[in-house]
Formats: sequence, C-alpha cells, structure tokens
Amino acid sequence: MTSRCILQTALLVYFSTTVLAMNYNLLRFQLSSSSVECQELLLQLNGTSKDCLKDRMNFKIPEEIQKSQQFQKEDIVLVTLEMFQKTSDIFRRNLSSTGWNESIVENLLATLHWQKEHLEEILEDIMQEENFTWDHRTLLHLKRYYLRIVRYLKAKEYSVCAWTIVQAEILKSFFFLDKLTDSLPN
Amino acid sequence: MLALLGATTLVLVAGVPWMLPAAAGGTNLKSPQNVEVCIIDDTFILRWNRSSPSVRNVTFSADYQILENGAWLQLPGCQSVASTECNFSSVKLNVYEEIKLRIRAEEGNNTSPWRYVDSFTLFEKAQIGPPKVHLEAEDKAIIINISPPGTKDGGMWASDSSGFIYSLDIWKNSSSGERKTKTVYSRDKIYELSPETTYCLKVKARLLPRKTGAYSPVYCIKTTVENKLPPPENIRVDAKNQTYILKWDYAQENVTFHAQWLHAYLKKIPGDNSGKWKQIPNCKNIRTTQCVFPKNTFHKGIYLIRVQASDGNTTSVWSHEEKFDTQLQITLFPPVITMKSTNNASLRVYISAPEESENKPVNHLYPLIYEIVFWENTSNAERKILEKRTDFTFPQLKPLTVYCVKARALIQDERWNKSSVFSDIVCEKTKPGNTSKTWLIAGVCAALFSIPVVIYVMKLLFRCISYVFFPSSKPPSTIDEYFSEQPLRNLLLFTSEELTERCFIIENTNTITAVEETNQTDGEHKKYSSQTSQDSGNYSNEDESTGSKFSEEFLHQETE
Repeated sequence: MTSRCILQTALLVYFSTTVLAMNYNLLRFQLSSSSVECQELLLQLNGTSKDCLKDRMNFKIPEEIQKSQQFQKEDIVLVTLEMFQKTSDIFRRNLSSTGWNESIVENLLATLHWQKEHLEEILEDIMQEENFTWDHRTLLHLKRYYLRIVRYLKAKEYSVCAWTIVQAEILKSFFFLDKLTDSLPN
Repeated sequence: MLALLGATTLVLVAGVPWMLPAAAGGTNLKSPQNVEVCIIDDTFILRWNRSSPSVRNVTFSADYQILENGAWLQLPGCQSVASTECNFSSVKLNVYEEIKLRIRAEEGNNTSPWRYVDSFTLFEKAQIGPPKVHLEAEDKAIIINISPPGTKDGGMWASDSSGFIYSLDIWKNSSSGERKTKTVYSRDKIYELSPETTYCLKVKARLLPRKTGAYSPVYCIKTTVENKLPPPENIRVDAKNQTYILKWDYAQENVTFHAQWLHAYLKKIPGDNSGKWKQIPNCKNIRTTQCVFPKNTFHKGIYLIRVQASDGNTTSVWSHEEKFDTQLQITLFPPVITMKSTNNASLRVYISAPEESENKPVNHLYPLIYEIVFWENTSNAERKILEKRTDFTFPQLKPLTVYCVKARALIQDERWNKSSVFSDIVCEKTKPGNTSKTWLIAGVCAALFSIPVVIYVMKLLFRCISYVFFPSSKPPSTIDEYFSEQPLRNLLLFTSEELTERCFIIENTNTITAVEETNQTDGEHKKYSSQTSQDSGNYSNEDESTGSKFSEEFLHQETE
C-alpha cells in the first residue's frame, strides 16, 4: 500500500513539474497564431499601382535570424519580443501617403502589442528565476536592422513606394519569426 | 690607432641616442591608464588616469575607429585635453555600431604609445538616466506623466523609447512612509490614495533584458479634497455567448454612467492620448451598473476601459482604467470522458473534446491539459492528476471495484488560470482475477502448444525402443541395391518361404507314385529309386516347371 502511495505522489509531482516546463507550449501556440494574424492583416493593406522597383533596398536581415541558428529558448523570447516591438514602432509612423485602412492598421498594432505584452511577462519571469547570459550580439544586430528600415523611411520621406517596400520586408521578417518559433522546445 | 679611437667615439656618440632614447629630449611619456567609457543617455564621457602623478604640460588626445572602416579619426571634444576626462557627445555615430578608441599622452612633440580600448558599441555601455515626471492631483488619485530619459528625437534611446518600463515608488510624506512599488505606463494614474494627503514618489525606467536606469528626483504632491461624486469601482468584464457584459459597482443612486475604451498600446507611446478614448456601444447615459455590447467590437488585443458617473450637475472623475485582455475571456468547455475496464484490473480512460455546439468551442485552438479526479466509489479519497495525453490507463487497481472519474480542461499556463467546469462523472467496475487468471490462461495455452511436441517425442522414443528390443527382420533397403539377382539373393538371404518341389518316385512301371518331397534347407535332395531297366531318373530340378515338364514327358512316353 505504501509503495502505491509513493508512486502516486511521485506521479503527481512529476506531472506538476511538467506543467511548469510546458510553459513554452502555450507561448509557441500564441506566437504562431499572432504571427498568422499579423501577416493576414499586413496582406490586407492594399498595394499601390505605382512602380516601386527602383526603391528596392536590401535591409540585410541579421544572419543569425536568417540562418536560424540554434538559440536558447530564453533568447528566442527576447528576440521575438524585439521583433514585435520594433514592427509596432514602424507601423506607428506616418502612413498618410499610403491610403491604408486605419482600422486594419489599428488591429495590426493591437495584435502586435498583445503578443508583446505576453512576451514581456514571460521575460520578467525568466529574469527573476535565473541569472541568464543573454545573447546581446544578436539583439544588437536586430536593432541595427530595424534602424536601417526606419532611416530608409525617413530618407524616402514616408512615400507610398517606401512603405510598400517596408511592408514586404516586414512580411519577410515574419517568415523568419515563424522559423524561430518552431525551434522552441516542446 | 688614433683613427680607430676617433671612429669608436663617433659610433658611441651616434649610438647613445638609440640606446638611451630617454636621454634625447626629456622623460619618457607613459600612456594613460584605467581608461573607461561612461555613457549616460546621450552624454559620452571618456575617463582615464595619468600614468605619473607629476603635473606638467601633459595633454591627452583620443581617436576613434569604426571597425568596418579602418581609418582612425579624431574624437571630437577629446583633443589636447588637460584633465583626465573628456566629453565626446558630439560624435555622430550609430549607437549600435562597434567602435574602438585609443588615447595617448602628449607633451610638446613627445607622445606616449597609444592605449587602446576594446571594441564596444555605445548602446551596450549606455546607462539609462532619470526620467522626467509631471504630476497632477485628484482627490483619491495622482495623474502622472513621464517623459522618457534622453533627448526626444534621435539620441541613444530613439528606437527604444516605447519599450521603456517604468517603476514607481510612492509613499506618504508623513511619519510611517510605507513604500509601494508599481509598474506604470508613461501616462498613468495611481489610485486608492487618501484625499488631502501629501505623497512623494520617484520613478526609474528599465529596458529589457537587463538595463535599469537611475531614479528620478523625488516629487511630492498633495491630493485634493474629496469629491462629492465618487467614480465607479470594481470594473469587470464577463463574456457570454456573443457579447461582453461590463459591470461595475456604485454606491449612489440616480446617476447615469458613461463608459469608454482605449487601445492599451497607445499608453506606451509618450504623448497625449486623451483624445483617443472611444465610446463603448450601448454604454452611454445608462442608469444600470452594467452594459452589454457585442464581442466583435473588439479585435484581439489589450484594451483599457473606464467609467464615469454623472448626476446631471456634476460628473465624477474617471474610474480606474481597467485592463481588458480579449483572450482571457475565452470559455473552455468540459471534455467528454469514456472509460473501459481492461484485463488485469485496469481502467482505460479516453478524453475527447466536447461536441460541436452552435457556439463552436475554442477548446481545440489552445494547447490543453486535463485535471483528472479519480476515486473509489465507496470511499471519499480522491486522487488528482494532471495529464496531457487523451488516452491513458490506471493500472493495477483493485479487482471488482467501482471507480469514478471526472475531468476538466486547463490551459497549461499558471498565469492564465483558465479552466473549464468539470465534466460528468463516469464510473466503471474493474474486471476480476488478475494474476491467477492470466496464469491459468497461460498454462492452458502452454499445454495446447506442448501436446504435439510431446507426441513427437514419444514417437521417437518408441521407435528407439522397438529398434533395440524388437528388431525388424526385414533387410535394410540398401541391400536391395547391391544384390538385385535372384540366385545370389537366395544364397545370401534366408527366406522364410519354403521351396517345394514335386517329386515323382517311380518304383515299378506298374505303379507310378507321385511322391512329394520337400527340400530340406541344407540343399537339394535328390531322391530317386529305379527298379526297372528304364532308368528314368527323377531329377529334381530347381524349378518346378521343369519337373512338371518331365512328368508330362514321361506320361507321354507311357501312353505311346
């Protein structure tokens, strides 16, 4: 009888710990559904009939993100937070030239913000738990990448072609974000 | 000799400056030590120590290099500096770019070797300075307006200004001064304060992951006199079918209410967003302390909701801005359980999603775990387990006992704390006989399989025994191969059949007697007797056929 009791207790403890470890399962689900929604909203922003080929620009997305190197799960949280944050900052800028539907842009910002808030909560938990060494290098490269996009928009004076190029670039960045999300542990 | 002496002197004189370079033009200059970069917001300071404490006309100059370029450029504000620190804030650099610095001491034409600083980015070394705070008092709340540290446009935190998280410490100015720490937006309100009291506070900004800034100076403000009309309290939102129900509490009667909403992300942007609050449909000038509005008013996101009361003459201040996350309002439906009793007194449990109703449950969209409560029908002792699988077994239970099970679905995140109600209780009785039954079945099967084996073994044994004790007189078949001819065969083999021969014994011509004689085994026996002149012998031949022929001939002769 006692051995059975011990077994049950051990099972309970085991399952409790697996619940805590499975935090990343919910995050992965949230990240992929947010990413899908954002991409859908981005695609709803109607394109322009103007020829924007001459305004094309290589923003040089960081190699670490492009080649989807193996990140630790805490770094993935930090990197995805930065991506959602910066994308949100970009779409709050001057969109008057584009003629895009304002409520779609608002919904996009709302979705980005929602995911960002949840990522921040998880990051605060991580920071309290452990003295983790962050991958500052990748974060720095990412900040540089988004700064290039912002400078490009400013240089082109937020023209409709510049926004079209940036819209395509952000969609591309979501593709890499999805790959990062997939590499989160189960 | 003299020429040699002269040459040596010349060499020595020429060589001395090489060997003693210090002797050439004064003391040797050493490069500065303990060079460090100190950055707070947009102020970049370079500090160092003198190598020798003696005060002379020593100045210092620094250069910088953008790693990709390779050329060393003069660091503005750090050329020929007499003190041990310089301010190079005017340099136009990308804060995320890696740079290298070098500094040396100079005295006239004399320079020390360069002292290099390892490559770094301005951003990583930067520390967050104090934010600026503006306060406004209400009766039971203080409105705060925080400006991010650094310069407004451009500067160190240009890209990150909306990412700042502000921590606020607040305490009463009076004796006890119990401190409370909160996280606030850049435009926010601090509630639950007492009227006509002086509060002091200070704020610091943080950037994830690890940058924490300095505290602002302490600001103090006194709350106003209590208003006649208090704001509504305890605002909450419930979800029901396709609508949200907004509820609040209010003590007084005969007032109308007015509810508004705002995108939460607008609070993160520095600046005034007071004009961006929007009306919640069906929630203007209502007399009840609740209002109902459709779910599709809000897209997925986080919103802030505030309510105001009005009695016609005066309006209250706005209530607490309640955070409303649309995703936290989902309803989880209870799962469906089926249970089967399997052999060995175990119960197998299957959990399935609830049936699709018209509301189309959202269970399947979220990763779920199940909390299962399991107990014996007769006792009250409950076992709770958390299980992710939808098909599992409770092994080794008591046989012939009724066990009951109920389960509910949970979203696997302790922060969310969302669960469905418990499902219906399902009970099942376990099957009897565990180990003995299985042994019996196993034994029967073993017996069935072993019967043909035993028979075969017995057969072999019997063959063996009969070979030894009851040998067969049949010759082995191999002999047939070698001895196929009959005579030789007869010679070698002792056949059991007897060769019989018909013999005719002729004694007189008168009497003919057919006598049959049998051959004996040791040879052919010729027996004849002749008493007549006709010597007709009886020749016994090997085969009967000739014998019979002979007798026929004889008869034939007789009849002639």
